[in-house]
Amino acid sequence: MNNPLGKNFALLEAGRRLFYILLLSLAVGALFILLIKENPLRSYVALFRGAFRGKLNFGNTLANFTPLMLTALAFAVGAKGGAFNVGVEGEVFLGGLVAAYIGIHWTFLPKILHLAACFLGAMAAAALWALIPGLLKAYYRVSEVCSTILLNYVAYNITSYFVTGPMSAGVANAQSLPVADQVRLHQFLRPSSANVGIVVAALVTLATIWLLRKTTFGFKIRAIGTNPLHAEYVGINPKTMLVKAMVLSGVLGGIAGAVEILGVHGYYLDNFAAGVGFNGMLVSLIVKNNLILVPVMAFILGALKSGALGLQQATDVPKSIVDTITAIFIIVGTMEGLFQVSRKKRNKKSEA
Amino acid sequence: MSEYAFEMKDIVKDFGEVHAVKDGCFSLGKGEIHSLIGENGTGKSTMMKLLYGIYDLTSGEILIGGENPGKLTPKKSISLGIGMVHQEFMLVDELTVLENIILGFEPRNGLLIDFPQARKEVRRFIDQYGLDVQLDKRVNQISVGEAQRVEIIKVLMRGADTIILDEPTAVLTPQETEGLFRILRNIKADGKSIVFISHKLNEVMTISDRISVMRQGRHIGTVEKERTTKEDLATMMIGREVLMNIRTAETSPGEPVLRIEELWTSGEKEMSKIRGVSFEIRSGEILGVAGVDGNGQSELVEAITGLRPVERGSVFLEGRDISRLSPGKKRKAGLAHIPENRNTRGLNRSFSIMENLISSQLDERFSRHHIVDTAAADAYSADLAEAYDIRPRDPRMSTSSLSGGNAQKVVVAREVSVGSKVLIASQPTRGVDIGAIESIRNTLEDVKRRGAAILLVSADLEEILSLSDRIIVMHEGRITGELDKKSANETDLGILMMGGKRTYE
Amino acid sequence: MEFSRIFSSSLIYATIRSATPVIYAALCASVTQQANILNIGTEGIMLVGAFTAVTVSFFTGSWIFGVLAAMIAGLLMALIIAVGHIRYNAEITAIGIGMNMFAIAITKFLLKALLGKSGSFSEPGIVGIPKIHFSFLEAHEGLNAIFNDWSITEVFMIILIAAMSFFLYKTVWGLRLRAVGRFPMAAQTSGIGVNALRYQALAISGLIGGLAGAHLSLGYSRMFTENMTNGRGFMGVAAMFFGGADPLLTAAGCLVFGFADSVGSRLQAYGVPAQFVLLMPYVVTVFVLSLSMAMKISRDRRKKSSLFSLSGKGVSAESAAV
Repeated sequence: MNNPLGKNFALLEAGRRLFYILLLSLAVGALFILLIKENPLRSYVALFRGAFRGKLNFGNTLANFTPLMLTALAFAVGAKGGAFNVGVEGEVFLGGLVAAYIGIHWTFLPKILHLAACFLGAMAAAALWALIPGLLKAYYRVSEVCSTILLNYVAYNITSYFVTGPMSAGVANAQSLPVADQVRLHQFLRPSSANVGIVVAALVTLATIWLLRKTTFGFKIRAIGTNPLHAEYVGINPKTMLVKAMVLSGVLGGIAGAVEILGVHGYYLDNFAAGVGFNGMLVSLIVKNNLILVPVMAFILGALKSGALGLQQATDVPKSIVDTITAIFIIVGTMEGLFQVSRKKRNKKSEA
Repeated sequence: MSEYAFEMKDIVKDFGEVHAVKDGCFSLGKGEIHSLIGENGTGKSTMMKLLYGIYDLTSGEILIGGENPGKLTPKKSISLGIGMVHQEFMLVDELTVLENIILGFEPRNGLLIDFPQARKEVRRFIDQYGLDVQLDKRVNQISVGEAQRVEIIKVLMRGADTIILDEPTAVLTPQETEGLFRILRNIKADGKSIVFISHKLNEVMTISDRISVMRQGRHIGTVEKERTTKEDLATMMIGREVLMNIRTAETSPGEPVLRIEELWTSGEKEMSKIRGVSFEIRSGEILGVAGVDGNGQSELVEAITGLRPVERGSVFLEGRDISRLSPGKKRKAGLAHIPENRNTRGLNRSFSIMENLISSQLDERFSRHHIVDTAAADAYSADLAEAYDIRPRDPRMSTSSLSGGNAQKVVVAREVSVGSKVLIASQPTRGVDIGAIESIRNTLEDVKRRGAAILLVSADLEEILSLSDRIIVMHEGRITGELDKKSANETDLGILMMGGKRTYE
Repeated sequence: MEFSRIFSSSLIYATIRSATPVIYAALCASVTQQANILNIGTEGIMLVGAFTAVTVSFFTGSWIFGVLAAMIAGLLMALIIAVGHIRYNAEITAIGIGMNMFAIAITKFLLKALLGKSGSFSEPGIVGIPKIHFSFLEAHEGLNAIFNDWSITEVFMIILIAAMSFFLYKTVWGLRLRAVGRFPMAAQTSGIGVNALRYQALAISGLIGGLAGAHLSLGYSRMFTENMTNGRGFMGVAAMFFGGADPLLTAAGCLVFGFADSVGSRLQAYGVPAQFVLLMPYVVTVFVLSLSMAMKISRDRRKKSSLFSLSGKGVSAESAAV
């Protein structure tokens, strides 16, 4: 909330830092590629082509970008409220499952209502799931990092049970029956999996940014996230607000699950969202939960992900190199003291 | 060999863009007690932390025993015979007194700690200087005065012959202060040198041989005690004649507004648990609460304001029982609160001045359909910034870099401008400059004149004595006495602060 | 379903067996927690350790080299965290999570690049950690089931718990480490190199975490699978929380997890769906963690309450003497 010039400057500064970190991560990645006797430059070109060249590749970049933006947002909302919510992954799974269930069975509803029911169901399921670690943290001080990670395994196993058991389509893959056509999200840039879910994601992003910046609800979330003692003192209940932040995070995770099922797959596929929640968290962490930069970073990561396939096809470099580079990106990105004007470092010291 | 224990010249220390020390200069003769005085935030502690190696110099020269010691670290300073008793005690709560004393200098037996040997060594110092402490208690079970003695033993054990005490009397009763001075004289008689940091002129005039004054990061002058007066020192400290201009209000108190009945509440330490406290404050009255820090004052305030659950007893505001309301509901009922710690409670340092000013009335006053009413908030906070002389004036600025005084003015402005019937002011002028002290005290008087009931908790006896209409004294979570404005004095307060049962007629 | 078949004496060893990897993880997290560093990276350290152990054992034909290499790999991982957190102010949770992602990615990458496999790697050439067999125990069925054929690392786990307790509570180093964790400024002003101790804690944690991974891939099993730690590192962190970073209590907490795991796998034989068996240890861990936190809160509340007194007479008598 500084003057606009200061704000832009800070954004610019963050961008510059991001750029350096990206370069460094690519350099370390190049080392790994050299290690397996491949040409890093050629590999990176293949990566770039895999992300952007042709309808299929670009479409897949967009398709990757969509859920990442939502899960990154889900993480960021929790983080704004002071919760390190690693459980977005589980929210996506459960949201997806409920969206698929409603999509398959509630065909008695007209199209619009049916679609709305899918999304609302997904949001509700994921929100309830996020409520658990929220309550545990607020009322019993249980580390949400621990509980959400462990609950991810639980969420995955629950969905896996349903899709191999009661909801199984009975085919070789663990998957459900297809959802009704009327709730499928329109795809474009075929044969990629890009779909109008991207519009949903964009609208949700704008709404979330507005919510956090302009409303009293957003004010309170930011208040408890930055100083819960102060918030309590001015009359904001940090416990209930934390729970609300987690629920909102769950809602966003649920939307991501619904978009993936209705937009990309069209049926529930076991383990469909592996890594979507985690990668969204990485996006948000890299940009320090800055909501404006989240879409930018989600796009970069989405491109890296779809480029990885092209890379693997064109060279002998395994696609996991991309995950490696991303991980290095985040590790270097967390190091505040790196690539920072020395002034800030000294400020930090003086607080000690 | 130098005649000085240490010398510091042309010292500069910057923290980012903040110049904590601009032109520091200090030298300590062997065997002398040299006081370093100045207002809050003038760089006294920073100077000594530079000497002790906690901070690195930006520029300047430090000589210890006449020689340049190179880069200083606490470890190195200790080995050069320098010891420091910090304003905030450097004791680990969960460890025992003995463990704390030997920390970093443990007598060893192989890998193990040689506790019998440690005990023997510590005993020697306890006996030699009369520093009575209980070695096997955990630090969170001992009193502030005892913790200070533990710190002094720590320093002596490490072979210090130069001892720095940073505001050691801020947490002591007048009688305990006398006890400390006896110990310091013993230490001096032993040939050791002492730096005494303070801003209390009476004490400085009692204990010092020489006195150095700092103002706004600069060395103003060094004088012999014999050749100066309190008034001269005060002028040097402030840079002008000190006439604190408080417009005290003589009001005749009205109806009781806040009534506390047999209040019990939890405490961070055993001796800060509130056990059966009752009092009332009337409209247009300031009730002062005196006591050594950690005797339940903080807990009392938190219980009244809803930040700590009331375990037994009641709080009534104009006859309405508000004991179990949330902090937000208590605010709506008419309670305002200036908390003792502006950084953790009073302010959200990552918010702007404006956001800090509106946060307590967000829903009632600064929202329209759940959207923050920015226009109203801007206008309101601009008015307050003007009225309370908050600098910088731009309410959109972040509070992260506000000075202590201005930060406190933001807190005071937010709490006072609501016009509540009751104001709980806890350490309202702690760590702020003299200009801000003056303005905050005047504000309190204005609030009183307006007819509010004020509970003033302060560790500063002078503040309590000058502002309160009545004074209650707390010791170990109970009220040990009540004094009237006219008859109160420091000696009696001191006795009550130590739990003495003298009641005033 | 027969209870005697599920709760037989072999369940005791089965519990210890499934708990051991988690206990190692918990010790890895405890040692840094004593220095007030929350080692979320435990999972990643362990995974890299597991991969290194299998690879080195496969190529050298020696489990000892495998274990040592795993410990060194763990050390390197921990040192990255240390430098990032201590030197460059990285937020500990964020960098820990980053390290975990890195571990998953790099082991996947190297599995493909070095061993030409994806998914898992299991070859006869992998030399596992030997088990200790006492032939005299064979005569007694119960004792045989409980005490025979422990792997070397399972025995060492018990030694490690004892050693860690000793170092933390009896030695100079332990006192300093605890002081650093609880009040770093107090340690610093006592001339203790605070950061040096933090580095040491993380380094030891890395060694233990590497060992944890080596035990998982060479002792508990004899293979490497992508992401084979499967949350065990996080269970270790959870156990560290409910044991308050005390080695013995923490290890005891892990047994609860081991118990749930081994009972679960027996229930599977009775037609309980695999997924419910698999999720049980996680549910149990979250539940026990919450319960222990709730108990801690009520204990604290009681301790701070004015209606109770810890050392009633002592308090007033001593301060009267001031």
